[in-house]
Amino acid sequence: MFDRDVWQEIFNTLKTNKLRTFLTGFSVGWAIFILVMLLASVNGMQNGFVGQFNDDATNSIFVRTGTTAKAYGGFEAGRRVQLKNDDLEYIKQSFPKDIEYISARYYSNTTARYKEETGSYSVQATHPDHQAIEKTLVVAGRYINEADIVNKAKVAVIGRKVAEDLFKNEDALGKFVEFNGLPFRVIGIFTDDGDDNAERRIYAPISTYQRIYGNTNEIASIALTYNPNYDLTEALDFSERLEILMKRRHKIAPDDQAGLNVWNYAEAFNDISSFTAVLKGIGIGVGFLILIAGIVGIGNIMVFTIKERTKEIGVRKALGARPIQIVNLVLLESVFITAISGFVGLLFAWMILAAIGPMIETPAFSNPSVSLSVVVTATIILIIAGVLAGLLPAMKAANVKPIVALSDK
Amino acid sequence: MIEIKDLHKSYKMGTNSLHVLKGINFKVEDGELVAIMGSSGSGKSTLLNILGMLDGADSGEYTLDGVPIKNLSETKAAQYRNKFLGFIFQSFNLINYKSAAENVALPLYYQKVPRKERQEKAMQYLERVGLKPWADHLPSELSGGQKQRVAIARAMAAEPKVLLADEPTGALDSKTSYEVMDLIQKINDEGNTILVVTHEEDIAHMCKRIVHLKDGVIVEDKKVEQVRAEQYV
Repeated sequence: MFDRDVWQEIFNTLKTNKLRTFLTGFSVGWAIFILVMLLASVNGMQNGFVGQFNDDATNSIFVRTGTTAKAYGGFEAGRRVQLKNDDLEYIKQSFPKDIEYISARYYSNTTARYKEETGSYSVQATHPDHQAIEKTLVVAGRYINEADIVNKAKVAVIGRKVAEDLFKNEDALGKFVEFNGLPFRVIGIFTDDGDDNAERRIYAPISTYQRIYGNTNEIASIALTYNPNYDLTEALDFSERLEILMKRRHKIAPDDQAGLNVWNYAEAFNDISSFTAVLKGIGIGVGFLILIAGIVGIGNIMVFTIKERTKEIGVRKALGARPIQIVNLVLLESVFITAISGFVGLLFAWMILAAIGPMIETPAFSNPSVSLSVVVTATIILIIAGVLAGLLPAMKAANVKPIVALSDK
Repeated sequence: MIEIKDLHKSYKMGTNSLHVLKGINFKVEDGELVAIMGSSGSGKSTLLNILGMLDGADSGEYTLDGVPIKNLSETKAAQYRNKFLGFIFQSFNLINYKSAAENVALPLYYQKVPRKERQEKAMQYLERVGLKPWADHLPSELSGGQKQRVAIARAMAAEPKVLLADEPTGALDSKTSYEVMDLIQKINDEGNTILVVTHEEDIAHMCKRIVHLKDGVIVEDKKVEQVRAEQYV
């Protein structure tokens, strides 16, 4: 199969039909190019989406409340549902095995002042666990701890932008900053990969803020992460149990999403995954259809080649070539054209992606690229395609009667 | 060497059946040089095709070197052709992108002879037909007579039992024809069995025996005084 004579023959046919070989090869190369580009685009889309969510722990669940939309349990619609500290405790105790981290959130806005500099920022009052849930990256100092919660300490973890705005070149750590006139000590500075806006945020102990704002035990929402070992089904099952429990506790209709909403990242992730999977399927489908056109082209050329070489094949058979040797010759030639032109297409696509891929960085589309597995798959597809393209012509060639070589009068 | 008994062959032409060979009985001994003559449509090419295992007979027996030739698979036929037969065609049928030496080596390739040995043998046979200096030339660079000599070298390279020549001089002028016949005679002198299909009287008389075919039967089978081609060269 790999001896010199076979290759000599293949190269000769290709050489004598350069334009024809190029045109057919082009169709296959083009098909692979499109297939790879499509897959890379889907990949880019997926990268974009995942990037959007990366900011938070992907196993997080948020419990939010609002105003009920339905009358239920003796209450009329339009009732405001308020989460309180004991809701947090209740969840903690109800699902000890399911919960990894849990934190309440309390939102507020504040005007912060340090020396002459002032600025308006949003404050999220949280529990220590919140750091893990939000994936907050503390670059200096520390995050809020249990002691801060117990002591209702007036401490704050400020975003990098906040530190830049208020403290300029000064080291903010340990300094006192006034929030609405009250002095808070800066215990930490954080950054966020997600976006700059997140760095204009301030974290403070929730107990501190609850006391400042009317000694309340109200909380705005609850954020938690579930057991990271859970798969999607378990995660969805857990958030459903949580939702049922919370709705029962607050006497909200089971299907009332306005009153209380349990939002699971896994669900959104699931949606995106299936969305990109569908896109990928479409990409592969379209690519394949184009590839089929290429295969037909190559098959067509092979039929022509064999028609032209009928006499030669006949002579070979008269000289003792066995049918299988003829089949091999044709198949090898077909696989060769297909593989070479496919690789050229693959190479082009890969070079374009390598050159411009990393430069593309938008929220919905980032770094389109192909993985090794795509390349390997494409290679296998090419070889199979080559065999398919050559199969019929090869059988035709093998069936050439050597008698035609003799009947030349 | 060759033995044929009551060979029949007919071709279907639509609804009609054309009876081409109507019971041929024929025997060729080792070392014979036989001319098969006949006008077109006499069945001589069909006979040669059957002898060459390129076509099967409808009925009758065909034995080649003691091996019965019947119901061969394509692969088996290819093997037998390679082992037993050497073909010489009217239009030479050299492969145009292979050099003279490569053309000669082709049957050896199908015998799975190693490359180096193939090349040596090819050169040896090219020398015998006097074309060693042309070994690297492509067929397009050779004259008609030279092409046919390359084809003869190719037919002999596999050392077959029988050489089958189908109008070997049909595409050549008379001078070159005699040169080719001279070569064929010399090969026969060395003891090779050769069958030549021709419709030219003078070529036929350069063989040792003439078999005349007419309408699918042998009408005449006679030994002749061989005319040496050498004197015309």
